[in-house]
Order: sequence, then structure tokens, then C-alpha cells
Amino acid sequence: MNLKFIKTDLSLSVRSWLRSKGTVFWTILFPVLLILIFGAIFSGQGDIEYKLAVQNFDDTDLSTQFIEMLEESTFFNITTVDNDAEMAKYMQENDFIIGIQIPSDFGETIQEYFGDNTVSINITYYTDPTEQTTGPIAQSIISGMLNEYNNIITNSRNVVGMNHESILGEEFDFIDYFVPGMIGFTIMNSMVYGSIERNTKYRKDGILRKLLTMPVTRYDWIFSKMLFMMFLSFISTFVILIVGILVWGIGIQMNIFFFIIIIGTSFMFSGLGMLIGRFVKDQETADVAGGAITFPMMFLAGTFFPLDQMPDILQTIAQFLPLYYVNEALRNAVIYGDIDKTLFFMGFVIAFAIIFFSLGVIFTKWKED
Amino acid sequence: MIEKKVRCLQCGNIITSSGNPGEVILVTCPECGKKGKVTYKKEIQSDDVAIEAINLKKVYGDLIAVNSISFYVRKGEVFAFLGPNGAGKTTTVEMIESIRQPTEGTIKILGKDISRFFNEIKDKIGILPQEFFSFERFTVRETLLYYASLYKKNVDINEIISMMDLKDQENKLYMNLSGGLKQRVGVAIALVNDPEIIFLDEPSTGLDPKARREVWEVIADLRRKGKTIFLTTHYMEEAEYLADRIVIIHKGKIIAEGALEELINKYGDENILRIKDCKSKDIISKLKENDFETISEGNGDIAIKIKYKEQILEVLSFLKHECVDYSTIDIRRSNLEEIFLKLTGAKLREAS
Repeated sequence: MNLKFIKTDLSLSVRSWLRSKGTVFWTILFPVLLILIFGAIFSGQGDIEYKLAVQNFDDTDLSTQFIEMLEESTFFNITTVDNDAEMAKYMQENDFIIGIQIPSDFGETIQEYFGDNTVSINITYYTDPTEQTTGPIAQSIISGMLNEYNNIITNSRNVVGMNHESILGEEFDFIDYFVPGMIGFTIMNSMVYGSIERNTKYRKDGILRKLLTMPVTRYDWIFSKMLFMMFLSFISTFVILIVGILVWGIGIQMNIFFFIIIIGTSFMFSGLGMLIGRFVKDQETADVAGGAITFPMMFLAGTFFPLDQMPDILQTIAQFLPLYYVNEALRNAVIYGDIDKTLFFMGFVIAFAIIFFSLGVIFTKWKED
Repeated sequence: MIEKKVRCLQCGNIITSSGNPGEVILVTCPECGKKGKVTYKKEIQSDDVAIEAINLKKVYGDLIAVNSISFYVRKGEVFAFLGPNGAGKTTTVEMIESIRQPTEGTIKILGKDISRFFNEIKDKIGILPQEFFSFERFTVRETLLYYASLYKKNVDINEIISMMDLKDQENKLYMNLSGGLKQRVGVAIALVNDPEIIFLDEPSTGLDPKARREVWEVIADLRRKGKTIFLTTHYMEEAEYLADRIVIIHKGKIIAEGALEELINKYGDENILRIKDCKSKDIISKLKENDFETISEGNGDIAIKIKYKEQILEVLSFLKHECVDYSTIDIRRSNLEEIFLKLTGAKLREAS
């Protein structure tokens, strides 16, 4: 391994990068701007508040206690619906998207539970099926609060339930969700377009042909470039995290998984960029091809918005997108602190990294036909 | 003993002469008495050969880009590979540089087969690829340091900067340099390992005449320093100005090879006298009647082959006698353009 070259390449690549205002903007400033803008939109207003219609047929303190809990959460602005009203009709006429109906035997069933722990009761969750965003989010929040209510009342036994469950962590703000997505998205763009440039512009400019005639192996060159690309990944990641922490107060759990995921993501998307650059040789066309792959991932891989808010078909598509696993691995590693899920998603990141990077290295050629 | 046929430069008579390799024989024309030297070159020794291509062939599908060509390059010479665009020049040089794989044939650099020993040869060659552009946001100095870091040999970058007259530009970004300066940096990059052989693929293409001249001076200077230079070009002036030996390639085949003088002697016509804008309509037939070999070039221009010096005066006397009106007259020797035209039936530029 030519360490003299690797050192020179890394140092000059960093200098060259710093001289390119456009690249610095897209790698550092653009994600920071997005965090500030999205953070201001979704976090600056405080917690999101939904209009919730509540029809309570139960006259015990237990149902009142649950409604108070919903009110105290600050997520909901509650309107009580008269018991004579037909719930669905009332919601349509009064423009409610979400509502809950507490059955008349709510309190009675809970009291009965202490004598017979096999009984349970469901509240009914009403939502406008045409509204794809608010309904699932509010459902997730109510579901989470029901869990908490169950904990308080029955010490963790689910005596009160809903027909549908959701995984959305209720204690996190939008910005907590957004920052890891932004990290994944930024690394993806830097790596894909960086690799495309090296494999198309450098080929067109004769740099690859020149290197072929010099005493450097393709592996030394790729290794050196990967060091630089990982430097970029970590720089942009840390800038995004610092802005997230200082401006929006997100809580970060730094651990070894975080570093593994960043490195894996860098290799994964560099490999993808190499493959694009190999098969689409013209730089402009390669950039378009890069955009065609990265742009949909930005929206479909749960980068900016929770996948739970999306239709089922899009949630299925997301599971075929590498960025989805990066986003979920990062969220679980540094925000949610869920080790099991981190390992699960990280496994996919590493597998994708090995596959894409290996294929990229195999298919990238310096020799001309 | 080698037998040679040479043409008398005065009367055009063909003289047969013989001599040994390395000898210079003085011969006298039996027709006009003119004396001249005939050189019998030594056969090329393998130690003198920098590059040798044997039966080199490159095929793309149905297209034969390079058709079983063989040639050699001597150490310390500027060797020009001349031909129109698409003739197979770059394909050939890239096969020698190991960028492309030959379909058939053998290439030796400094006596070593590149298919087996190219990694050993890398330290001894420097390359300026065709249409080469380096990293945009590196300065000239950084660019040279970058490429120099690939080699074990430590060369003095300052010396290369001075040699290539890049001192004033060393801290400028590559992207901000003119085309001529970029080419000069390209040549400088090819020198970062102090190579024995330098490949320059179309080094002056796309440059303005001044920048082209600057690049030529750089190449001439490298030759003076004893470097072997393999130059591909489609500019005949470049080959004429720089090359010790020239190979002309057309449609993948070598059609002529030798020093400029040899090519002109072998393939060129005699001196040509050109009459521009001749007003007399029947002058060509009158010239022919008087045994002048003429070629009509259109628009009233006439070219006359001059077989011996006195014939110039004979033509001028004839024109005066016939009261022929014309604008200018010039006399010159054949050049590579004309040789190419003669050999291929196409002009070098048109064939591109």
C-alpha cells in the first residue's frame, strides 16, 4: 500500500473540497438549512395539536381520567360530543378527522378486571380514511397513551385496547425523527454523486487513463478515496448532529453502532455510485441516473416523514430501498436507543454495503475496451 | 554491402550506388556531374530501441482500428505518429501505454514485453493522454506533488516548475489556467518521475498558434535533454518541426516511415513552381508542348514540376516570352501534406 500517495491524496482532496463552495454547500450547509427550516416548521410551533372528538358513554372516573390524560398530553384539542349524536355524522359535519368513542362499560370492565384478569375493553377510534397523515399519527399517539394508561391502572396489563396498534414513539418530536433521516440522505447524496464524478468526469478528463500508467493500484486509489468520502460523511454527520442538539435540543445516544452505520452507509452508496458511473459513462446522464435513484429514496425511504403516515404500498416499497435501512438503523441507534432494532437494520446496512461496494469495485475498470 | 538507388538533386537522374552500413559514400551523377553524399544507415541495435511494436492489431467488432503494424522508436529521438483523426494513432499509443489490450501483436518498451512487465516499466515512462485535464481545484504545485507522490523516486518539483516555465503559475488553480498552460502542466505531470520515455498524445490539439508554439518549444527542449518522445499528431507542421522520424498512419495501416528528408526524397515530388492567378487561358497546353510537366490547380493556378535548377529560369523565360499575366510565383519542396495526398489521395485535414 502506497501510504505516501494515500496521505497526499487525502490532504489534497480535503483542500480541493474546501475550495468548491458548491460542494461544501450541498454537503454541509444544505442539510443544516433543511434542519433549521423543517425544525422551525415542525418543532418551533411546539407539539403538534390535533382536533379530537370524544364521545364518552361511560360515566365513571376511569374514563374521565383517560380523557384528562389525553388533554394533558398537549397533542389534542378535545371536543366532547353529545351522547345522542351519531359519531361519524357529527365528525363529518364538524370537520373532525379523528375521534374516539368510549363504551358505556369502560369503567365497569376495568373494575371487573381486578377480579377477573381475562376481561378487556376496546375504545373505538374514528378517522377519516381519506386523510393519510393525521389519522395514523394520532392513532399512534392514542395507542401509546393507552399503553401508559394501562400501566397506571392495571400495572402493565392491556385491559383497554384499540383495534390497531402503531410503533411510532410517542415521546419523540418530529425533529428527532428528521435528523437521522437527514444524515442518511446527506451521506447518500455525497457518496453517490462523488463516485459518479470520479467514474465519469475523471474518465472523460483522462485522469483514470493516466493513473493506469502510473504505479498506483486501483485498490490503493479506491481506498484513498473512501477515506476521503468517510471524512466527508463524518463531517456532515457531526455538523447536522451539532445543529440538531444546539438548536433543537435533540437527545443523542452516541455508540459504536452509530460509527458502524455511517461507515457502512458510506461504502454502500459509494458502491452504488460506482455502478452508476460504470454503466452510464456520460457524466450528465450519470448525474440524471443518480438523481433518478436518490430522489425517490429521499421521499420513499422515510427520510423526512414517518412511513406510518404513508399508504401501505409505499411502506412496502420502502423496504426495498437501502436508505430506509440506514434511516431506521440510525434512528434506533442514536435516538430511540433500541439495540435489537439497531442490530436488525444495521445488518441490512452492512449487507447492502458489502454487495454494492463489491460490485462497484468489480465492475469499475480503468482500462479502455 | 547495401545497394541503393538515389535521385540526382540537380538533373533528376537515378543513380545506383552501394556501400556498407555506417558508411557515407560520395557519388557523382554521370549525366550532369553533380556530386552528392549517400548515407548507409547502421542497422538498428536492440540496445538503441526504446519502443518496439510488432504486428500490432486492434479489432472492434467488424472494425480493424489498427491493422498489423510494426515499427520501432529509437532512444533519444522524437518519433511522430502522424495521421488524420480516426487513423488509429491514439488506439496504437494507448496499446503501448497498456491502456488498451491489443487484439494481436507484441509491444516492447526498453526491451521488456509490456504484457508481462508493464509494472516495471511504469517508473520509466511519462504520459500525457489525449484531451487530458487534471483536478480542477488543485494548484499547479499541488497537481505535481499529487502525481509525484505515486512514485518512489523523489524528484525536485521546483526543478520541473522552472523547466516548464510555470513559476508564475505554481499557486494558481488548474481550472484557471489557459489551454496552453494546462497542456504545459500536462507535460510537467509526465515528467514527475524523470522518465526515459515520454508519450504525448496530440499535445497541441485545440491550442491557438501561440500556445502550440510554446508546447513545441517544451518538446524540443525535452529532446535536447535526451528524452525519447513518442508524439502522436495530426498536424504535419508539428511533425515537420519536431520529429526525427515520422510514421504516417492511415486507416490503421502504416503508409510511410522515415526521417522527414527521407520521406520527401522517397515520396515527394521535385520542387514545384506555382503560378498564381494566371490570366492566359491556353498556357497549360503551351507549357506541355514545351515539355514542362504541369498540373492545373484550378482558378488559374498552375503547378509545374521542376526537375533541375535551370528549369526554373526556362519557365520564367517562357512566361515572359508568351507575355503571360499572373499575380505571384513561388517555388517550394513537397511537404508531408503533399506526401499524404500522394499516398492516400486525400488531404490530411480532409481525411480527419
